[in-house]
Amino acid sequence: MFPNGGAQALELQKDNLWYKDAVIYQLHVRTFCDSNADGVGDFPGLTQRLDYLQDLGITAIWLLPFFPSPLRDDGYDIADYTSVHSSYGTLGDFKAFLEAAHSRGMRIIIEMVLNHTSDQHPWFKEARSSRDNPKRDWYVWSQTDLRYEGVGIIFVDTETSNWAWDPVSKSYYWHRFFSHQPDLNFDNPEVIEALWEIMKFWLEMGVDGFRFDAVPYLIEREGTPCENLPETHAIIREFRKRLDAAYPGRMLLAEANNWPVNVRAYFGNGDEFHTAFHFPLMPRMFMAVRLEDRKPIIEIFQQTPEIPPTCQWCIFLRNHDELTLEMVTDIERDYMYDEYATDKTMRINRGIRRRLAPMMDNDRRRIELLSGLLMSMPGTPIVYYGDEIGMGDNVYLGDRNGVRTPMQWDGDANAGFSTADPERLYSPVISNAVYGYQAINVAAQTRTDHSLLRWTIALIKLRNSFQVFGRGSIAFLKPANHRVLAYIREFEDEMVLVVNNLSSSAQAVELDVRPFKGFVPIEMFGRNLFPRFGDVPYLLTLGPYQFYWFQLRRI
Amino acid sequence: METEIAGALAEDTILADDLIRQLMSVGEVDLLVGITSPSNAPATSHACRAIEQCFQQRFTRQRAAIVIVCGQDAAGGDASAPASAEPAERDGHSGGALRTVQRVTADFPVPPSPGQALRTLLTAADLLRAKACAMLAPGSSELTPERVASLLQPVFHDKFDFVAPLYTRHKFQGLLARTLLYPMSRALFCSGIRELYSDEWAFSGRLAAACLAQDVWHEESIQARPEAWMAITAIARELRLCQTFLGPKLPPPAGSATDIVEVFRETVGNLFWCMESRRSTWANCQGTDLAQTFGQAQELTSEPSDLDPQRIREMFRNGVAELGSILSSILDPETYAQITSIVECTEGSCRFRPELWVRALYDFASSYHHSVINRDHLVQALVPLYRGMTYSYLMEHSQSTAEEMEAANESLCAEFARQKPYLTEKWNAKLEVKS
Repeated sequence: MFPNGGAQALELQKDNLWYKDAVIYQLHVRTFCDSNADGVGDFPGLTQRLDYLQDLGITAIWLLPFFPSPLRDDGYDIADYTSVHSSYGTLGDFKAFLEAAHSRGMRIIIEMVLNHTSDQHPWFKEARSSRDNPKRDWYVWSQTDLRYEGVGIIFVDTETSNWAWDPVSKSYYWHRFFSHQPDLNFDNPEVIEALWEIMKFWLEMGVDGFRFDAVPYLIEREGTPCENLPETHAIIREFRKRLDAAYPGRMLLAEANNWPVNVRAYFGNGDEFHTAFHFPLMPRMFMAVRLEDRKPIIEIFQQTPEIPPTCQWCIFLRNHDELTLEMVTDIERDYMYDEYATDKTMRINRGIRRRLAPMMDNDRRRIELLSGLLMSMPGTPIVYYGDEIGMGDNVYLGDRNGVRTPMQWDGDANAGFSTADPERLYSPVISNAVYGYQAINVAAQTRTDHSLLRWTIALIKLRNSFQVFGRGSIAFLKPANHRVLAYIREFEDEMVLVVNNLSSSAQAVELDVRPFKGFVPIEMFGRNLFPRFGDVPYLLTLGPYQFYWFQLRRI
Repeated sequence: METEIAGALAEDTILADDLIRQLMSVGEVDLLVGITSPSNAPATSHACRAIEQCFQQRFTRQRAAIVIVCGQDAAGGDASAPASAEPAERDGHSGGALRTVQRVTADFPVPPSPGQALRTLLTAADLLRAKACAMLAPGSSELTPERVASLLQPVFHDKFDFVAPLYTRHKFQGLLARTLLYPMSRALFCSGIRELYSDEWAFSGRLAAACLAQDVWHEESIQARPEAWMAITAIARELRLCQTFLGPKLPPPAGSATDIVEVFRETVGNLFWCMESRRSTWANCQGTDLAQTFGQAQELTSEPSDLDPQRIREMFRNGVAELGSILSSILDPETYAQITSIVECTEGSCRFRPELWVRALYDFASSYHHSVINRDHLVQALVPLYRGMTYSYLMEHSQSTAEEMEAANESLCAEFARQKPYLTEKWNAKLEVKS
């Protein structure tokens, strides 16, 4: 178990594997708290709210891009990598935030959007200014749009080609994402050096990790899908080597929306990324609950390879993007659409732009079950801001802005997010009768003992008390009742049995726990002892969507 | 008193504790398929795979389970042991199905009768609230996912309550169905289901519940062939029936030689029993509700036949001669006289005309009703007449096309309908005599 209180920060500092035990909170500074009444969240506002995150049990914060940007892709179109967008404050504000977070035992992970820049970045402006410019070769140019034919288009709703015509230099430039996001040329060593200088800038300041955006697409080669190429791995290994040498204990997180067997390569031999998102697990957790069948989860774990001991999966339920359905079959995608996005306005690209609570029809039991899965499955959980209170979404805001609305702090004007005029907010607050800020907000839930927020705090606290959740192995029990998902987590002398009823009705299940004969299961939330495991199948009954976490002890 | 109650409970308990435990784990399902395990495990495994593939390919979103009904075979071994309740997930990636396909096994100490097997499935369907069910007898390796889907889809997607199969047959195969079971049941129950007696059919959850609730399960007729009774129950309750084309009829399980007398007991005897138990249904219906047919039906083909007409004729003549006294007690005197005249006719001129065939059958049915003689013997006595009809049929249609034979079949159906008042009269008249 971890020691509690102020010693926690010091303890974590010493542990280079801190990311394995972390509970990460994902937020955009714009959405969280506006300190200067301009309608946009900022770092001073975020700093004011750090106590809330500490109380929640968060140990790391992943910040979405906060750099100067035209903001045509929610900040993933960066125009200056070493500064702070003026709407969010200053570098000084960021430093103050960083120190405040560290003092509370929270680490900070920031974005490293290295695949592309904004077309407003000075590098690109120079590169397009003439074919002879020294920065010209920092991007990928062509006189024809027929190179790399057959490479998939990611934003199928908006883009028709991966090439865009530059009327300035009369050439095509390569972009895997929006056409205003030209890809950097990683075959040019100068680009790698420039990006390392940017990383050093933030590392020197004290950031604890980077989320590398769009990792698979760094390198292009003719006749390939231009994804996951060996040269890309070589670049990652180079960054990792430099990081470990100069900044041990810092972490790299890969965004590679791919099958686990492909993502596995990004861990290398423990010499590439420390962590990577497990994208395919996420839709399958939703699928399993709707299907009332553990099959999707079991199957994806069967397809998940072992990773080096120093590496870790990052798992999540929702994030700032659409609930991506890239890593599912057509049949599964259709099912997810039919069950979770019946209104077509809820769909975007190959995904669903909704938040957790609305997808669960605001059913507290299902929200808790999914949160329980998130916190008990192997990997580091990432909580998307607002999901801990069951915030809703607004699918009519366009793009994915419906899941990026202001944090709902209280029932006052603008949900306590800002004192600006409502018209000035970067986004309208959610105000409908079910999910509106007057019904769903932090203040109200803090006052209520059995609110979702208070429950989530208890859940995270429990998780944080046991290393087994972050570091333990997983072994699935396979009871005949397929509506029940049960698994054993084990790490050193810690052993936990998790039993989840995925269905909307009460279930009985017989668990084969003979290998654990003699152990006494202790229900972890209430610390109640259950009958000792013996030679016969262990019978449990579970209410709808109920789950148990049992600590297994030899007593 | 406690012993009596326990005894009564034990008698009423259809499902073994182990099966209940398995069903408890399955939970509610959309689709439930029962198979009676043959005496070889590979066939059961093959059938389970075909059913699972059906679920994975055609019912990807539905909750589905397979109930394997089996018993210890003659050698004392468990016929279905290798196909025990192994959910598909244990085989790794299981195709397109989103959910686990569950298998449960209902073990009997001895091989269960078809009636027991069906009752087990109906009980399971009731407990699991299944929407669409099918009963299969996997005697062949030709059971395919498509066949299973063809049976289930009309129930699940089109809300039919009973789905009978329809097969491609040689023009001289299935003559019992074509000359007796189909036209007679059509005239009586006003339903155009051609294959009332089959080893594979599908039904809805509500029909399952309706059948399960009836106190018929100890009846010998139900134990042997429950499917026609199930269809007639659907008719009686004005539920929706249809038929679905499955392609060629699967060959019977190896080693299961067909005994015509046994077949008559199980089918014709069963039909007579259904008439007895569903008298109000057939007495009140008129016309024909031509059942909707799914799939492209090509019922008849013209491959060479291995039937020996002369042998059949001889058996007809010998049978009528041997059973003369019994036949004369069953048949109307005029009917009996006409049959004996056919026996005496020269080769090639024998014709069992439709009106005589129908009249004779109605005599048998009414005699069955009035228990003129032992009912089992009565049904057996019909076999020689059937042979006579078969010989006549072979002679008449040796060169007929499929269309011509279909026309003749329609004509026979019409004759059954035309003479239905005769049946009613005999049925009631005798009753009056008795009373």
